[in-house]
Amino acid sequence: MSEPMLSVRDLEVTYHGHGGHVPAVRGVSFDLEKGDSLGLAGESGCGKSTLANALLRLLPAGTEVSGQIILDGKDVLNLTPGGLRAARWTSGAIIFQGALHALNPVQTVGEQIAEPMLVHQTAASDSAARERVVELLRRVGLPAARADSYPHQLSGGQRQRVLIAMALACDPLLLIADEPTTALDLMVQAQVLDLLHDLKEERDLTLMFITHDLSVLTYACRRLAVMYAGRIVEEGPAWDVFENASHPYTRALAAAFPTIGDEASRMAPSGLGGDPPTPDNLPQGCPFHPRCPLAHDACLPAEPDLRSSGLERSAACVLV
Amino acid sequence: MRAGLTNLVEVEDLHVHFGAARAVDGASLHVSPGEVLALVGESGSGKTTLIRAIQGLQKPTSGQIRVEDVGDDGPRPKIQTIFNPTVQMVFQDPTGALNPRQTIYEIVAEGLRIQHGAGVEQERVAQALSRAGLRPPERFFPLYPHEVSGGQRQRVVIAGAMVMEPRLLLADEPVASLDASIRGEILALMRRLVDETGLAILVVTHDLGLAWNIADRVAVMYLGRIVETGPTEQILENPRHPYTRALLSVVPETREMEQQILIGEIPDPARIPSGCRFHPRCPLLQSGILAPEIAARCPTDDPGPTPVGALTSAACWAVPA
Amino acid sequence: MTSLAMQRRRATAGRVWKQFRSSRSGMIGLGVLLLFVLMALAAPLLADARELNPVYARAQGNPQWAPPSEFGPLGTDYIRRSAWAQFVWGSRISLFVGLAATVLTILIGSVIGIIAGFVGGKPDAVLMRITEWFLVVPFLPLAIVLASVLGRNVWNIIFVIGITSWPSTARLIRAQVLTVKQRLFVDRARSLGASGRHIVGQHILPNVMGLILANATLAVPISILTETTLAFLGLGDPSAASWGKTLEEAFVNGAMVRNAWWYFVPAGLGILAVVLAFTLIGRTLEEIANPRLSRAR
Repeated sequence: MSEPMLSVRDLEVTYHGHGGHVPAVRGVSFDLEKGDSLGLAGESGCGKSTLANALLRLLPAGTEVSGQIILDGKDVLNLTPGGLRAARWTSGAIIFQGALHALNPVQTVGEQIAEPMLVHQTAASDSAARERVVELLRRVGLPAARADSYPHQLSGGQRQRVLIAMALACDPLLLIADEPTTALDLMVQAQVLDLLHDLKEERDLTLMFITHDLSVLTYACRRLAVMYAGRIVEEGPAWDVFENASHPYTRALAAAFPTIGDEASRMAPSGLGGDPPTPDNLPQGCPFHPRCPLAHDACLPAEPDLRSSGLERSAACVLV
Repeated sequence: MRAGLTNLVEVEDLHVHFGAARAVDGASLHVSPGEVLALVGESGSGKTTLIRAIQGLQKPTSGQIRVEDVGDDGPRPKIQTIFNPTVQMVFQDPTGALNPRQTIYEIVAEGLRIQHGAGVEQERVAQALSRAGLRPPERFFPLYPHEVSGGQRQRVVIAGAMVMEPRLLLADEPVASLDASIRGEILALMRRLVDETGLAILVVTHDLGLAWNIADRVAVMYLGRIVETGPTEQILENPRHPYTRALLSVVPETREMEQQILIGEIPDPARIPSGCRFHPRCPLLQSGILAPEIAARCPTDDPGPTPVGALTSAACWAVPA
Repeated sequence: MTSLAMQRRRATAGRVWKQFRSSRSGMIGLGVLLLFVLMALAAPLLADARELNPVYARAQGNPQWAPPSEFGPLGTDYIRRSAWAQFVWGSRISLFVGLAATVLTILIGSVIGIIAGFVGGKPDAVLMRITEWFLVVPFLPLAIVLASVLGRNVWNIIFVIGITSWPSTARLIRAQVLTVKQRLFVDRARSLGASGRHIVGQHILPNVMGLILANATLAVPISILTETTLAFLGLGDPSAASWGKTLEEAFVNGAMVRNAWWYFVPAGLGILAVVLAFTLIGRTLEEIANPRLSRAR
């Protein structure tokens, strides 16, 4: 069996700020095979965006990162600055959320898509870059004329497509999509998901999809991992995990996205009390136990590790 | 569920135009006491403008909004002008909706102070907070908004609305900016308020799952008009208007339907298409299965707004009346 | 205001003071300012007011242009008056005019800014045109005209400074009001049936007050400098001792040529010190109000 495209072992990320040390990611390990798609679900404070940024070392200076990240055979955490710059956008690229501040407001869209090409010198010349920009725009469903527009002249859906085009500029092997459909309308979201699906098939991309919307992941990814308080608490085939969660948190999260037509959720909204924990204030033992409907004594002494809960599935709960 | 025959609020042929942009372009709907109506639509549909007009925050260009006014001689319809205490609003962004310099007590008491309401203020504030799930209420009195969580802030907004004893609550995406795991609690709270006090709720959302969770009826809005309305089960399980069908087909939570991804985005409200405003994107029209006499009408004849007071309707030539 | 709210207000004030205390430049500014304020308040104890009167000074037998000696810790001026007395008593006028003029500036500027920003429409347009007129007209000619028309006394000087300085405050406050007006909690207040007065009092003002205060603290040194300028140009109150007047008299009567530093240097340093003090305090307050500024340190 060949090496996985992305291999993460015991990743820990701690921010250092005025308030002290904030452990945003506390020991995450997973593998992502070439051509596979992994969805990472979680709410605010779970560490998923930190994890996404850590993969390409895009975290603010002074952040403590430990563990191992092997991307396309390269040891990301130990790359030289030159090696890191070379790896970024060519081995792995990130698609950010399409809010207005993800794009430079004073540069045209075409200039921004061309930028990675020029930085990595993957385009032979300016005109070659321009040609490629047009090609990319067309591939993501935007007319070539858009290359001369400024970000504020585009709609949310169009901006998201520009960000996708930008991520593809240097033909990356791994695409990390960080909340790409949040804040988009239903129909536009469907269009973007469809586009990502087609692109993945076409180019045999490896996809990592990060969002809080669990239902979108079941549609867009083959595998699913749920994060809570800086750790993965459940993992497995997306559809399986969504329909048949092993971990009580996943079950509660899935219930927040009711299936239309399902009598059980009609007039019966279900949710959890309390709030997702902030990384600087984690409960003792299992971080989920204060909100867990099935909490009992065994949950307190120590945080449970991921243990197998079925074929290709695992969950971090004492009840598994 | 439905307490009386008279409607709590009736919106008739409402127009709200901003220059050439016709944000609300002939929308009619009604809400009965004790009922939850979900107003569903994408951005650009005009749904937020519509409820702001009902609340009195937006002056309509034309049309009527009638809100039941409880006077000394019993309920009677009153033409909505600027402000009506029986209609209160819950906002999308609970953090922005609260003045960071006011304590929670002051925030909830504000409406009472403005209206010089009767009864002991402190008691009513405590009751409203408690009813919204913030217990013990006294603990929350001196706190500032940034000292409580997002979900709690939304409860404060709800308490601030409920303290006025409204008959109708207008909720603009009440849980969209909250974490997914706590949405259910807020929605359950809203449902409980309906069951306990006979409150009616008009909730604006793009989330069809939310409508499934708490709504009795659904109205679907497209480009300034209500294009379909009916009981939740009917709209979400058996939609008739092609736009509703397309929307449902792309909701990740529905599996049975084949996806119909529409092309393009909602047109600019300043350039509304002729005839049926949905016709340029209509999958039904594009599929060619429509009878020629119907297909000919779509680009030229406007199906017109859904009538006031209609319990079920769909503004589409292909749907039998 | 409920007792609860008062408690919270006090706690906030305590927090602000703690933060202020930790800023070295802020504390230096505060210390210097307090020194001069005490000097101004204790003027009668520090120097005999009669020494400001040239007739009295002559009767005392003081020589002209005496350096610091038995004739006074800062010597004497061209008409035998004690320079120390002028320094001490001058601080009163400089500080008083500076503060009073600033109060006038802030009052006019805030009221106009709030009305223009909140009401909008035609009143806003009219008020802004007036503001722009005042901004465009060159200050000095306007001040000279007003001073000569109104007459040269302390109150008129305060008026002149106030009436020419309010425009920038008005613009600043108006911009902030426009921002606050857009916020969702104002919509919420409107949906609760709040009148314009309630919204301005409960929501706009508290969120604009911080800016007003910071602006005021930085406006005081400007007012002091303006008074100094006017006095230096001979437009000040002839009967009032102020540092600006001291500088004017020093200049006109050749103190610089004579190198009678004991006469003009203290006044100049005094102005410098007070202006610097206010600037340091104002900057520290701004940093506290806007934490993003302090991170740059």
